[in-house]
Amino acid sequence: MANTQTKSLSQAEANLRRQRIISLVLRYTVLIVVGVIMLYPLVWMVGATFKNNNEIFTSMNPIPFNPTLDGYKAAMENYGGAINIWKAMLNTYSYVIPEVIFTIISSVLTAYGFGRFKFKGHDLLFSAMMAMLFLPQVVLNVPQYIMFNNFGWIGSRLYLPLVVPTLFATETYFIFMLIQFLRNVPKDLEEAASIDGCNVMQTLIQIIVPMLMPAIVSCALFKFMWSSNDFMGPLLYVNTPAKYPATIFVKLSMDSDAGFNWNKILALSLISILPSIIVFFAAQNQFVEGISAGGVKG
Amino acid sequence: MKKNKFLKENMGFLFIIPWLIGFLVFKAYPFASSLFYSFTDFHLFKGMSTFTLQNYLDVFQKPLELKALVVTFKYAFMTVPLKLVAALFIAYILNFKIKGVNFFRTAYYIPSILGGSVAIAVLWRALFKDDGLINGLLAIFHIPAVHFMSDPNWALFIICLLRVWQFGSAMVIFLAALKGVSVDLYEAASIDGAGKWRQFFSITVPLITPVIFYNLITQLVQAFQEFNGPFIITAGGPRNATTLMSLLIYNNAFKNYKMGKASAQAWVLFVILMAFTALSFWSQKHWVYYADEDGR
Amino acid sequence: MKKKVLAVLMTSVMAASVLVGCGGSAAPAAEAPAAEAAEEAPAEEEAPAEEAAEEPAAEVAAPAGDVDYEPCTIKFDWWGGDSRHEATQKAVEAFEAKYPGIEVEVNFGAWTDWETARALEYQAGNGSDVTQIGSNWIPDYDGDGKTFIDLNTVSDVLDLTQFNASDLEKCLDPVGQQAGVPISMTGRIFYWNKTTFDKAGIDYPKTIDELIEAGKTFQEVLGDEYYPLELGEYDRALFMSFYMQAKKGEPIILEDGTLNVTEEELADGLAFIQSLEDNHVIPTIATLAGDGNVTLNENPKFIDGRYAGVFEWDSAPLKYTSNIAEGQELVVGEELDFGEAVKGSSAKVSMAFAICASSQHPHEAAMLIQYLLNDPEGIMIMASERGVPASKIGFDTLNDAGQIDPLIAAAHEGVYAADPMFFSPRFDNGELKGDGAAYIDVFSGLSYGDYTVEDAASILFDAYSNVCE
Repeated sequence: MANTQTKSLSQAEANLRRQRIISLVLRYTVLIVVGVIMLYPLVWMVGATFKNNNEIFTSMNPIPFNPTLDGYKAAMENYGGAINIWKAMLNTYSYVIPEVIFTIISSVLTAYGFGRFKFKGHDLLFSAMMAMLFLPQVVLNVPQYIMFNNFGWIGSRLYLPLVVPTLFATETYFIFMLIQFLRNVPKDLEEAASIDGCNVMQTLIQIIVPMLMPAIVSCALFKFMWSSNDFMGPLLYVNTPAKYPATIFVKLSMDSDAGFNWNKILALSLISILPSIIVFFAAQNQFVEGISAGGVKG
Repeated sequence: MKKNKFLKENMGFLFIIPWLIGFLVFKAYPFASSLFYSFTDFHLFKGMSTFTLQNYLDVFQKPLELKALVVTFKYAFMTVPLKLVAALFIAYILNFKIKGVNFFRTAYYIPSILGGSVAIAVLWRALFKDDGLINGLLAIFHIPAVHFMSDPNWALFIICLLRVWQFGSAMVIFLAALKGVSVDLYEAASIDGAGKWRQFFSITVPLITPVIFYNLITQLVQAFQEFNGPFIITAGGPRNATTLMSLLIYNNAFKNYKMGKASAQAWVLFVILMAFTALSFWSQKHWVYYADEDGR
Repeated sequence: MKKKVLAVLMTSVMAASVLVGCGGSAAPAAEAPAAEAAEEAPAEEEAPAEEAAEEPAAEVAAPAGDVDYEPCTIKFDWWGGDSRHEATQKAVEAFEAKYPGIEVEVNFGAWTDWETARALEYQAGNGSDVTQIGSNWIPDYDGDGKTFIDLNTVSDVLDLTQFNASDLEKCLDPVGQQAGVPISMTGRIFYWNKTTFDKAGIDYPKTIDELIEAGKTFQEVLGDEYYPLELGEYDRALFMSFYMQAKKGEPIILEDGTLNVTEEELADGLAFIQSLEDNHVIPTIATLAGDGNVTLNENPKFIDGRYAGVFEWDSAPLKYTSNIAEGQELVVGEELDFGEAVKGSSAKVSMAFAICASSQHPHEAAMLIQYLLNDPEGIMIMASERGVPASKIGFDTLNDAGQIDPLIAAAHEGVYAADPMFFSPRFDNGELKGDGAAYIDVFSGLSYGDYTVEDAASILFDAYSNVCE
């Protein structure tokens, strides 16, 4: 019926469509398989919060056989009114949020200084900054502890040893990351802004920050997660249960001598990571929207 | 006018002043003291009596410490490439228009949120023990059980797998970078008839090299300083097969209070990382593309 | 304010001295050896005091001299689990109610890295007034006697006569001061899964020969997966010390910290441990790692009875009984007989209270310790959360009230029935015990076949020599 030319054309089209479908199926298969591997532990953990010790150690089935709410009941324990999980989480975020804000501000300033300007001693200072990445924190803990003790900051109710350093861009990871992203931003826009009469500060806020938004959001997320997960810092610097953050609270009942109920520990862990999951879920679109707002396109 | 010039030349310096203060107040002292300790026999509760190079010699002479160094290298060279490839690959797929992309992104980041949680310790052991889930799956395909936890040759692998599984942070950074690649470039390439994979390697990868470079360095640093995995899952065993340098340093500094020894081990790690990073920075000019570079 | 406090005090002191009667005899007894004299007397006085638990009556065991004190704030820290946190907090509240004007700030947490955090505090000179310590903390952190005060200086309020002289001696620091007061003593003993032994058709072992026999029987009757005992690396080190001590008739680390064992003797001990593995008495270290590297009470093979023996502190059986599968029964055994004159077992201070030298209020801190360990009111609230009390009045009060868990009580009795030897805190030194330390290296190396018995003996001997005098 149809002539050969249209036939071959439609065949090519069909081929293309088939290819598309195959690649689509492939893509989703990969995503779903990987997703299962990624999520299984969380699912298992949710199930385990409803199991007793015996079942947790003897079964890998995420669905509890004899579901019990004991874990959640025990998780609500308040240690004589001194502290409970909600208070502990409030404690956590009462220093994590300032830490995130301070880290972002100080890191952006530092990254801008290193990334866009040349000055005397630039390379030397840059090397010094990078070097801060290379020494494991654990050997710095003792000298730092002695230092903070001299400042009188141990046991500070404002978490000074945790919060104050973030005012001064002590997180090299983030400075370095922002510099790398900054270097991928063409200088044209800034030059244009400069011609329009913007000073450096205005350029930073109006041009650079929007361009860097995806990176800034990533930094904020990471700082949020890492600080929320920090155990050693609070353990060394906080010494009143009423000020304990969630990481310490979660482990309060883990006494290897007397034994303990894992369902409680897991329930507490789960509750304490929920904000992190929610924050990530809510913030992720910033990677996308940050870009369109910055107007890289075009 | 002169003042203005001075200001212009040193404007950048003003921006890094907060960092410089933090560096001098919070970092310089602990850094210097750890370097000093490393040449002494300083013990937190027994004090220090002599200056010595023994701490450094031990790293290369004592079998346990030398083994830790070797294992750390093995670990880093297994983990870093696997993790980077996994993170980039997934980020690339997630960068397409995908239904439920928010869900997938979150799902893939969850392992990183779980981090060093006690739950992971329980689960990872349950997965990889002799009669665990993985061996159960292998049995379906008639593969004989693997002694993941007790065989020194396998134990490091499951620690490595834990970190590869937590590729979320690297993925997020790649995603942020991929979003920065202008869509126009793809459209142009698409019209030219370049396939998806060619597009990826000839357009995407070069454009995000600064971020690949960033991830390479930070992942390398993290791998060489890896602590959580062996700490919560294998406690350095079996037969020290998973005793990474950082675990040794932690035990020396925090359990035995041998600050001198721990500091020396840490500074060996420091020099190694310094060397790798210097090498990477040097290699940049061959493969990293910066948009802000003069004469681009 | 202060007047009122004093008035309350005076009345309570008077009431106490009326009730106590003979309590005064203990007053000058600053030195520990005087303990014997007061051994019997106060115990009988307890029952009525305890019933009159209402208000001031409880000052029983305290020497009825001055309980004068200044209103102040003291800090108190401990590690533990939920029930210990809860009981101790209640005791602290009751203490504050009893001595108005003294405020106690508490700090408590789980074991992980707790010791390190406290050690840094001691080092920086801002440790708590009252601090809970492990017995090896005294040689580790108080080597010069400057970290903790000599409790003899506060024996006017802290009644040291309630403790065995020999127990107190174990809390002396290297310069001879009373750095701590023992809260409880503990030793290793065996717990057996009666259900599994019944299934194998044998009784649980009482001698080493029966244990080795049980290994064979288990393998033949129940199969390869079943073992009569499980020993991790640290357990092996302790069990080996029992074996060597039975043969020698004395501790392998003496009270003054000297090492009392030769490399040859260690080789013999290591060969003994290895023979247990070879005879299917205990699973290999590789098997245990393959079980997931978990603690025994969390090991499915223990939970369902395949590992039928536990070598554990007398204070710690409950974590096993709470996890074990339904239908399995765990019973306390006795220290094994090696066919020698003595059993070779040992006991140590499980934990102690100390007062930091930096304390501004050692007197009030001592009052708190006295209340927690020697005051029936405090004793009843604290119960056996820290093991079976070392204080005589503490033990009697709880025992009379039936407040000690029967399994723990039986285990503790079993430990002391075997006339335990001195357990040096040096056994627990970080260079021997802990990740990557000597015990793990030596026993896993031996088990994996990386070391011969001679290699292992040489490594272990060096390690012991390092931590001993």
